[in-house]
Amino acid sequence: MSREAILNAVKKNKPEVLPLPEIDVSVFQEDIDVVKTFKDNLALVGGQVFEITTDAIDAKIKEQYPNKSTIVTTTTKSNLGNVEIDKNTDPHTLEHIDLAIVQGELGVSENGAIWITANNSLVRALPFITNDLVIILDKRNICLHMLEAYDNIAKRDRDFGVFISGPSKTADIEQCLVVGAHGAMSLTVLLV
Amino acid sequence: MGHAQKATEFNKDEAKVNWHDKALWYVREKRDKSAHNVQGWEYLRQLGSGIKANVLSNLDEYLIQFETNAKNNGIQVHWASNAEEHNTIINSILEKHNAKKVVKSKSMLTEECHLNPFLESKGIEVVDTDLGERIVQLAEEPPSHIVLPAIHKTKEDVDVLFQEHLDTKPSGGNPEYLVGEARKHLRDKFLNADVAITGVNFAVADTGGVVVCTNEGNADMGVHLAKAHIACMGIEKIIPQEKHLGVFLRLLARSATGQPITTYSSHFNKAEEGKEMHIVIVDNGRTEQLSREDFRASLHCIRCGACMNTCPIYRRSGGHSYDYTIPGPIGSILSPGKDLKKHSSLPFASTLCGSCSNVCPVKINIHEQLYKWRQIIVQEEKQPIVKKSILKTAGVVLSKPKLYKMAGKSARFALKHAPRFMIYNKLNAWGKARDLPEVKHESFDEWYKKRRKNE
Repeated sequence: MSREAILNAVKKNKPEVLPLPEIDVSVFQEDIDVVKTFKDNLALVGGQVFEITTDAIDAKIKEQYPNKSTIVTTTTKSNLGNVEIDKNTDPHTLEHIDLAIVQGELGVSENGAIWITANNSLVRALPFITNDLVIILDKRNICLHMLEAYDNIAKRDRDFGVFISGPSKTADIEQCLVVGAHGAMSLTVLLV
Repeated sequence: MGHAQKATEFNKDEAKVNWHDKALWYVREKRDKSAHNVQGWEYLRQLGSGIKANVLSNLDEYLIQFETNAKNNGIQVHWASNAEEHNTIINSILEKHNAKKVVKSKSMLTEECHLNPFLESKGIEVVDTDLGERIVQLAEEPPSHIVLPAIHKTKEDVDVLFQEHLDTKPSGGNPEYLVGEARKHLRDKFLNADVAITGVNFAVADTGGVVVCTNEGNADMGVHLAKAHIACMGIEKIIPQEKHLGVFLRLLARSATGQPITTYSSHFNKAEEGKEMHIVIVDNGRTEQLSREDFRASLHCIRCGACMNTCPIYRRSGGHSYDYTIPGPIGSILSPGKDLKKHSSLPFASTLCGSCSNVCPVKINIHEQLYKWRQIIVQEEKQPIVKKSILKTAGVVLSKPKLYKMAGKSARFALKHAPRFMIYNKLNAWGKARDLPEVKHESFDEWYKKRRKNE
């Protein structure tokens, strides 16, 4: 059995136990405007961000994406959806979705990333397979850095979750940055 | 063929080498800028190193904990001692699903195990979906960099490849057009795949979940559309707790490309309803490396590629000159442990400048390990006679100050007055493709003494 062989080899070859370092988060403490830094970093990674009021959500989306015909909305904050999905929807049927609008759980100031779970997107493939993505985020849910972010999501039901920072991108052809590799071609974040 | 000979091949195209050198240095500069933006960066590196050291010292316990938690979440866990077992396990999972089409996102481990040719021999289509990996797959080449697999290809090369394989129009190497065509081509592959294979960036012991980082979204496109997900990981990918991701995700992308984080950091803890998730845990020489006290820290590596981007040798010799799955400085300390004879030239492919160790996010003492491998290699492997006799002579001369002074004097005389063919020949590697600096009249010692006298 390889399992035993590997575990025995590790036991035999590992060094004496070294302590697991305690993390002193105070070292990373910064007195900054987390919303502003979040917006700056999101722009840096190629996303768009608007600070608006809840009642202006749909108007803003329509203004940004005027010509979208197939739209999935998985949040009650927008009424623009015209394709219904639920947890059992076959992700292959989402191939031609133009726009997905989902709720984000948590934003991270240091890198513009937003935590999205399978609960937020109903179908896991949605935020990736959609042509364009809109994430609605409560600006009170923006934390300073990743360590704080993991504290905030520690008590969740773990199935699938993803930090998304900007639209899909690649620089694999001569280091030229091209937005829109396999995932969403654009990302717009609405801070409410 | 050793590293130097292969590097000579790469250096035949001077313009390309210069571009390669500059492009990677630019990535290194982006890394610096990004790292300097983080309050407590050096402390983060220290934490990364400390956590990894703890992991290695308790790895068996963490692996068992990881397995238990993963199984509790319905994930099937497999163990493979070597590449062959890894490939066989994957093939049996594919057989169970009657899978003929597989999409794969970046995994250096499956490269290391030569999974693609194995599956192809069983009649299975394996498509690498990271754009850079797809490019080298179409070109039938291995990746030349662990983060930028096609960094050795020009956009014109890609244009020609895509014309041949994806039926694209000649575009003179227009990156937007080529990426757009690749997106269409690979979308079709994602939608029709039976099973998705991914690598693993981090495997969390206390949750049993794995994290995969991509910029393109290819891992997620593959996994969420296929009916089964197979994640392949080396035993050293374990981290103790989920909160430690807060340390490693802050380090990884900044060190790799200068981004504050990859576009997608996907946390897989359970399969989607009606689907399957498998994890294959692989040794393939890692436990042996763990036994080598001087070299075990090489297992801290989180595969960011920062050591390659900064290395003056890598930048001017290209990844293929290393002839090993992981090229560059980190590859040069991993590979001799796998096959000392085959890779014996790699620890010498370094100036020992230490830049790799300075940028390593988990503080691996790469240049010191390179030096240690050299000491082992000169004991165990035959060295070229020229190198041996030169070093022997140098040893004698350096141990005798009088002789050293005289040697210096005659060398300065010879370099000034000897005919060119005597200085620029095969014996003088430093005179290849460049002129030596102008020879000074006096030695440093003489210059220093004179200066002191005049003060």
